[in-house]
Amino acid sequence: MLDFLLSLIGCIPLDCLELRFMQRAMLGLLLLAPMTAMLGVQIVHFRMAFYSDAIGHSAFAGAGIGMLLAVDPHLAMPVFGILVGLAIIALKRHTAISSDVAIGVVFSAVVAFGLAVVSRSPAVARDMQQFLFGDILTISDQEICFLMALFPAMLAFQAAGANQLFLIALNPVMARAHGIHTGLWQYLFAAMLALVVIFSVWAVGVLLVTALLIVPAAAARNIARSSRGMFWWAIALSVLSACLGLVLSLEDWLGTASGATIVLVATCFFALSTLPGIVRRERRG
Amino acid sequence: MNGTAVAIRDLTVRFHGRAVLEGVSASLPEGGCTVFVGPNGAGKTTLLLCLLGEVPYAGSIRLSARCAGRIGYVPQNLNFDVQTPVTVEEFLSLGVSRRPLWFGFGKKALALTREALEQVGLPDCAKLRLGDLSGGQMRRVLLASALLRKPSLIVLDEPAAGVDLKGERLFWETLDNARRRYGLTIAMVSHNLPLAAHYATHVICVHEGSVVEGSPRAVLTARNLIKVFGIPIHLYPDQCSEPQLQCPKCGAFGVEDEGQDQPGSACACPMGHEGILPAGPACLLPLAGVPAPDQGVEAAPDQGGAAAAGQACACRHGGGHA
Repeated sequence: MLDFLLSLIGCIPLDCLELRFMQRAMLGLLLLAPMTAMLGVQIVHFRMAFYSDAIGHSAFAGAGIGMLLAVDPHLAMPVFGILVGLAIIALKRHTAISSDVAIGVVFSAVVAFGLAVVSRSPAVARDMQQFLFGDILTISDQEICFLMALFPAMLAFQAAGANQLFLIALNPVMARAHGIHTGLWQYLFAAMLALVVIFSVWAVGVLLVTALLIVPAAAARNIARSSRGMFWWAIALSVLSACLGLVLSLEDWLGTASGATIVLVATCFFALSTLPGIVRRERRG
Repeated sequence: MNGTAVAIRDLTVRFHGRAVLEGVSASLPEGGCTVFVGPNGAGKTTLLLCLLGEVPYAGSIRLSARCAGRIGYVPQNLNFDVQTPVTVEEFLSLGVSRRPLWFGFGKKALALTREALEQVGLPDCAKLRLGDLSGGQMRRVLLASALLRKPSLIVLDEPAAGVDLKGERLFWETLDNARRRYGLTIAMVSHNLPLAAHYATHVICVHEGSVVEGSPRAVLTARNLIKVFGIPIHLYPDQCSEPQLQCPKCGAFGVEDEGQDQPGSACACPMGHEGILPAGPACLLPLAGVPAPDQGVEAAPDQGGAAAAGQACACRHGGGHA
């Protein structure tokens, strides 16, 4: 299955896609980009950008724990990310602490922990750079297989819970009156988001993970006239940014990091998406 | 109205050791419009949240068989960015469509949302964004969302707060029409006493952790209201036994020798009313654009003659005489 998909990507008439690691990177992005777009739309709706940032930074600490305990960081990062995501939701739901404060406290704790781990060992610090900046070009077959398993799970989650999550975001009390189990959906959302964010960290690094989630969704919001439109526009822009960014980053005249280039392309789309609004305002005078 | 929709017995709610409600007992008549009134911080919203099971409490709240599990809730507002491109149709379909929003709606969901919008007098708003609605339209869309669940009991928390006078009046009228048409039981918190006096069939006045309940005319008396709010509020001029010169209504009422501002006499109050002053709480004329209740449904409760035929007060304020 994986070989078939990679050979399909190899059929795309681009020189750079003849290389196996490029085919893997492209397939990884084609699986990851729609998922980040779907969750990005919800993050924009729920105003949870800070939350996703905190989970992204937890990858740093997760990797640190993995390295210290000699556990594979690819296992330690998602597990720690999910725990951090669930802990923030639990803090919000069961204490009087406001959302921003809860996220801020956890965010600070995981970053401080990551830095403490790095400061103890120079060798770990070198490995940590990979998590700071990410590198989709080094994605392995095993990681792609995990993304292929995560993709249908994400589709099923969205099919079952998109409406419920939207109602919860609009008014949790109203959602509960509609018979929606708000706690269950909030925890599930946190877990799915943590998984996707951790994979995104491998692609674009801790520093740009929120941008990968937010920018396509924010551009889609500028263009779309309905929520449905925003969803599909976000997926289209996210996939386009990922593919264009990857291909451009390997051009000799550019030669930039793929993660940063992907986010820059997405940001260009965002800038373009603001034009219709500016023109409309100009016409109104 | 038949029986009791909600029976509250010995309800006590404590936040951080402080009693917000203490041993409260009250009943909401089935098919009636019960309005919770009282100053800010009195515990009205807490009482409402207890009905929804949102707040832990001691005591009991019993719902009638008709209302149990069929509760609609109308919040004050939604938590969304005005730039979010969610249309009215999409918002309403969230509650009725099993298909995820991203894949559009089925014909059935579309028909139901259109019907709900017509019920609240907004048939042309389906394609509008939520962020483009006025405050009054938004409240009616929220009401439509609650009605879509075909509830027996609708709970509203200051549903018209922040809406202009006309919008608020239109909301109450729409809500009252829905109540009569579907036999709904309504429980709502409101600060608009003249409209509560006009539309409510039952009033629960919450003050310092306890309640007084009864018909609007029995509860919203000048004597009760000055105790609760600390200012003279006279909703029923014929009940003004103690003139208060600070109150324009009462001040006028006190000038008995001139024969002005008595019920049934020419209204010469300083607010510029013209015509005949009704004996009831508010001179509320029917509003255009609000769907009328079906013929033959339950008659309007006696509101002390307000807006009765022959007593139309051409009030430019469209509100009460409080």
